[in-house]
Amino acid sequence: MKIGVFVCHCGSNIAGTVDVVQVAEAAKSMPEVAFAKDTMYACSEPGQQGIIDAIKEMGLDGAVVASCTPRMHGSTFMRTVARAGLNPYMFEMANIREHVSWIGKDKVANTRKAIDLVRMAVAKLAQNKPLYSQSFSINKRVMIIGGGVAGIQAALDCADGGLQVVLVEKTTTIGGKMAKLDKTFPTVDCSSCILGPRMVDVAQHPNITLHASAEVDEVFGYVGNYQVEVRKKATYVNWKTCTGCGACMEKCPSKKSKDPFNELIGTTTAINIPFPQAIPKRASIDRDSCIKFKTGKCGICAKVCPTKAIDYDQQDEMITEEVGAIIAATGFDLMDWHVYGQYGAGRYPDVITSLQYERMLSASGPTGGHIKRPSDKKEPKTIVFIQCVGSRDKSVGRPYCTGFCCMYTAKQAILTKDHIPDSESYVFYMDIRAPGKMYDEFTRRAMEEYGAKYIRGRVSMVYPQDGKMIVRGVDTLAGAQVEVEADLVVLAVGAEGAAGSAQLAEKLRISYDSYGFFMEGHPKLKPVETNTAGVYLAGCAQGPKDIPSSVAQGSAAAAKVLSLFSKDQLQSDPQVSKVDLKRCVGCMKCAITCPFGAIKETEVRGEIKAQVIETICQGCGICTSTCRQGAIQLQNFTDNQILAEVNALLSSETEEA
Amino acid sequence: MSLQDELKAQIVKRLPELDVVIGWGQGYDSLHRTPLFITSEADVDKLVFDPLCVHNLSTYLTRYGSAKRIGVVVKGCDSRSVVELLQEKLIHRDKVMVFGLPCEGVADLGKVKRALAAKDLDMGRVRAASFADGDLVVTVSGQEIRLPMAEVQADKCGRCRYHNAVIHDEFAGQPITEAAPDTYADVAAFEEQTLEERMEFWREQMERCVRCYACRNACPLCVCRDYCIGQSREPNWVSQRDGLEEKFFFQMIHATHLAGRCTECGECERACPVDIPLLLLKRKLGKEILELFDYRAGTDPDAKPPLLNFKVQEDTINERGW
Ligand SMILES: Cc1cc2nc3c(=O)[nH]c(=O)nc-3n(C[C@H](O)[C@H](O)[C@H](O)COP(=O)(O)OP(=O)(O)OC[C@H]3O[C@@H](n4cnc5c(N)ncnc54)[C@H](O)[C@@H]3O)c2cc1C
Ligand code: SF4
Ligand code: SF4
Ligand code: SF4
Ligand code: SF4
Repeated sequence: MKIGVFVCHCGSNIAGTVDVVQVAEAAKSMPEVAFAKDTMYACSEPGQQGIIDAIKEMGLDGAVVASCTPRMHGSTFMRTVARAGLNPYMFEMANIREHVSWIGKDKVANTRKAIDLVRMAVAKLAQNKPLYSQSFSINKRVMIIGGGVAGIQAALDCADGGLQVVLVEKTTTIGGKMAKLDKTFPTVDCSSCILGPRMVDVAQHPNITLHASAEVDEVFGYVGNYQVEVRKKATYVNWKTCTGCGACMEKCPSKKSKDPFNELIGTTTAINIPFPQAIPKRASIDRDSCIKFKTGKCGICAKVCPTKAIDYDQQDEMITEEVGAIIAATGFDLMDWHVYGQYGAGRYPDVITSLQYERMLSASGPTGGHIKRPSDKKEPKTIVFIQCVGSRDKSVGRPYCTGFCCMYTAKQAILTKDHIPDSESYVFYMDIRAPGKMYDEFTRRAMEEYGAKYIRGRVSMVYPQDGKMIVRGVDTLAGAQVEVEADLVVLAVGAEGAAGSAQLAEKLRISYDSYGFFMEGHPKLKPVETNTAGVYLAGCAQGPKDIPSSVAQGSAAAAKVLSLFSKDQLQSDPQVSKVDLKRCVGCMKCAITCPFGAIKETEVRGEIKAQVIETICQGCGICTSTCRQGAIQLQNFTDNQILAEVNALLSSETEEA
Repeated sequence: MSLQDELKAQIVKRLPELDVVIGWGQGYDSLHRTPLFITSEADVDKLVFDPLCVHNLSTYLTRYGSAKRIGVVVKGCDSRSVVELLQEKLIHRDKVMVFGLPCEGVADLGKVKRALAAKDLDMGRVRAASFADGDLVVTVSGQEIRLPMAEVQADKCGRCRYHNAVIHDEFAGQPITEAAPDTYADVAAFEEQTLEERMEFWREQMERCVRCYACRNACPLCVCRDYCIGQSREPNWVSQRDGLEEKFFFQMIHATHLAGRCTECGECERACPVDIPLLLLKRKLGKEILELFDYRAGTDPDAKPPLLNFKVQEDTINERGW
C-alpha cells in the first residue's frame, strides 16, 4: 500500500507549537508511507489540490491528513480523496490541533505527540478497506415535540412548506410559557394577542396533526425513517365529541383543584380547559381532584355534557407515528428555587416566582389582572424583584445566565407601575444584560420613566415582620447594607431544561447537559442540529432564550428539515457493523444489546446467524464489544484497525525506551 | 431402588426420543470416571454415578448442531450451565432433555493425590475405590485407606447453594434440603491482600500456563472454539508469543468473557494441567456481578444476564438519579 501523509500548518495554529516539517520528515520512514509533506492550509483550495495532485502523481492508495478534528474537516478531506479517484474511506485524520497544538506549549513534546498520532493514523489506514454507501428513501413527515412558541413556529413553517407535521404536546394545550405571559418585552404587547392567532393556525392547518396530552414513549429507526411511539394520555373526555363549551366546568363541584396553568396561585375545577384560548379547546379531568375518581360518586360532568363526551374509563392510547425527522422544542421549566433557604424556601406566601407574577398581571389570570398579595389579598405598594435566583450562582450549581430575566423583570416593573401608580418597585440585580434590539432602551425606561429603583447586589435574606417582608441585601455600588420593607417579593427564577428532557434525550439519542438542555451539533455553526442525523432543536430546549430567538430557531429548524427533505434519497453511512458468518454462533447477544434494533436473526444452512440491517445500524459499536469471539465487527473500526493503532503507539514507546 | 438404578430406568424410558444421552462411565482406573455417550440400551449398563463423576457434561451440548435431540445427566452445579446455555439460545429447550440429580459433593482428585502422598502412597497405584459412611475407601499398594470425604471434597461443594439440578425433565433420588449461602468469603479473604501481593500471586500462577486451552475447552460456555479470540488472527488480540503478558491477557479475556455468565462449575480449574486456581479469578467476577446486579448466573432460564442487556438506566446502578 502507498500512503501519503499531509501535515497541516493551519497558519500558526499548529505550526506555532508543532514542528510540522519534522512531523512530515518522520512520517516518511513509517511503514507503507510513500509520500509526506507539510502544507500551509490543507483545507484550502490549493491545499486540497496538492493532496489530489500527490495522489494522482504518486499513485497513492490512501491519505493521512494531520490537521484539525474530523468533526471540522473529516468530510472535507473525504471528498478531496474521492475527487482524486480513491474510495473516501481510504483516508485517516490525525488531530494535531485540538489534541496537540492548542493544548500544549512545549514544542518538542508536541512534535513527538504529533508524530505518534500520525504513526497511529498510518497504521490504521494500512488496514482500511474501501466502503460503499447505500441509498435509501425518506419519509417526508416531521414530528415536533413541544408546542411552545418555538414548536408552533417550526410546525407552521414546515406545514407551509408542504410537509405533513405531527405536533406532540405534553400538556392539554399548546402555547407553552408564552401563553402564560401577560405582556412581552420589549414592546409590551399582549402575549396572547400575538400568540393566539398562531395557535389557531396550528389547529386549522390541513398539514398539522396535533396530539396534545401526549408524550413520546419510544423512538425507533433512523434519519428519514423514524418510528415514534406516542402515548396519548387519558383525559377522560372524548375529544372527538367535546366541543369545549365549558358546561362541565361550570357545574363541577371540585372547585379547589390545582391549577398548573396559573402556576398554582389560583384554583380550578377538576374538569377544566386551562384557559379560554387553549388549543385544542377541550376539557380534561384531573384524576387527583375528581370526586368521581376519589369516591366513585359524583359524575355531574357526565350528566351536564351536552355531547356525552365524558368517559371515566378512558385509557392511555398508544399510537405509532412514522416520520423522517424530529424537532425537539420542549422548552424550559423554572428551577426548584426552594433550595434558597434565605428566601424562605417556599414558606412565605408573599414570596412568589416571576411566572406567578405574570399570571397575576394577566387579565385572564386568577386575580383578573389585579395585583394582590397571596397572604391577605391586599394590593401591595412596595414590590421587590430579586434577579438571578438560580442563575449565575455556583452555590446552587447554576453557573449560567438565564438571559431573559433582566428583561422581563424590567417589563414587570413597568407593568407594576401601570397597574398600581402609587407603587414603588425595587430591583436587586447583578448586572443588567440587555443586548438586543431596543433592549437596553427598555430597561432604561423602567428606571428613568417608571422610577424602578435598581440596586446592584445580592439579597442575603428575606423574612417576615409585622405583615411585611423584610428584604436585606447589599448595594455594592454604594457599598452599603440596604433593607427594604416589601409587601411582595418576586423572584426571577432561572430556567432549566423542561422536566423529563434528559429521558427524552436518551430516547432521541441526543446529548444533553446536566441542566437538561439539549446539546447542539456545534455551538456556532450547527445551532439547531444535533449529533443524531434527522433530529433538530428549537427554542429553550437548547438553552434559555427569549421569544424572538425561540421563534427564529423554530424557523431555522424548519428550514433544516425542509432542506433534508428536498432530496428523495439519502446515503447511508457504510461505517456499520458486519457479521462474519463462520464465526457467528447465533447467540443473538448482539441483537439484545443493539440499542437501535439493527440486528435480525437469519438462517444460513440450518444454523442461526446474526445479520445487520445496514440502514438501521448507527455504528455505535456496542454489539462488537458484546460479541465475545469478535464475529461482528464495525467497518472502518474493526478490532484489528484499533489494535493496529494501539500497537503503533506502543511500538513508538518501546523505541524510545 | 438406588439412585443410580433409578437414573438408569429413566434413561431407558426416554432413550427412544433421543439421539444420545450423555452420562458418566468407568474411566481408565478405579478413581477416574469418563463421559459416556449412550445411544443404545446396552450402553445404559455402563452408567455410573458417584462422587467421582466430576465432569460437567453440559460442555458437550453445544457440539451437536441444532438438529439432534440430546439427553444430559447433570448435578446441581452442572445444571446451571444448562440454564445459562438456554438463556443464551446456544441450545434449545425442545432439543435437550435434562436428567437432574441431587449431589452431596464430588471428590477433588488433587486433594486425594496429596492425602495419599502424605502417607507416602502413590495415587497411580490405586486399584479399587468405593464409598462408605462418608469416606472414600481406596485400595492402594495392598493397603485399605479411608479418606473422609470432608477432607477430599472439592472446595466448590463445601459452599454449594444448588445441590439439586435447578432444571430437569427427570429427577432421580431425593432432593437435598440444606444449602450453603455462598457469601464469597474466599474471594473476600483474597482481596484482603494488597494490590502488589495479588499481582505477584497471579504473576507466579500465570507464569506456569502453557496455553494448552484445556481450561477453555472444558468450559461449557466457551462456545467459540476455533474462533476464540484468544487464538485468532482476525481479530488478532493476542499473539502466539510465549510470554507472561500473552498468557495473562488470554486468561483475562477468558475471565471477562465469562463475567455474569460463569456458573462457577470449576471445570477450567479442574482441567488445568498445571493447577492454576482459575476459579478464583472467575469467582472474583461472580462476586462483582452479585454485588452490582444482585444476579447469580444460571439459575433462571428466563432471566437476561445483566451484561448481555442494554438498559439506558440500570435498575441497580443509578448514575443519573432519575
Ligand atoms: C416570567 C417570564 C417572563 C417572560 N417574558 C418574556 C417576554 O416578555 N418576552 C420574551 O421574549 N420572552 C419572555 N420570556 C421567555 C419565554 O417564555 C421563552 O422565550 C419562550 O417561552 C420559549 O419558548 P419555547 O417554545 O422554547 O419553550 P416553552 O414555552 O417552555 O414551551 C415548551 C412546550 O413544550 C412542552 N413540553 C415540554 N416537555 C415536553 C415533552 N417531553 N413532550 C411534549 N411536550 C413537552 C411544554 O408543555 C410546552 O408547551 C419570559 C420567561 C419567563 C419565565
Ligand atoms: S453476538 Fe456474535 S456470535 Fe452471537 S449472534 Fe451476534 S455476531 Fe453471532
Ligand atoms: S454497531 Fe452494532 S449495536 Fe451499534 S447500531 Fe450497529 S448493529 Fe447495533
Ligand atoms: S488449562 Fe491451564 S495451562 Fe492450559 S491454557 Fe488454561 S490456564 Fe493455561
Ligand atoms: S475465551 Fe472468549 S472468545 Fe475464547 S472461547 Fe471463551 S468465550 Fe469464546
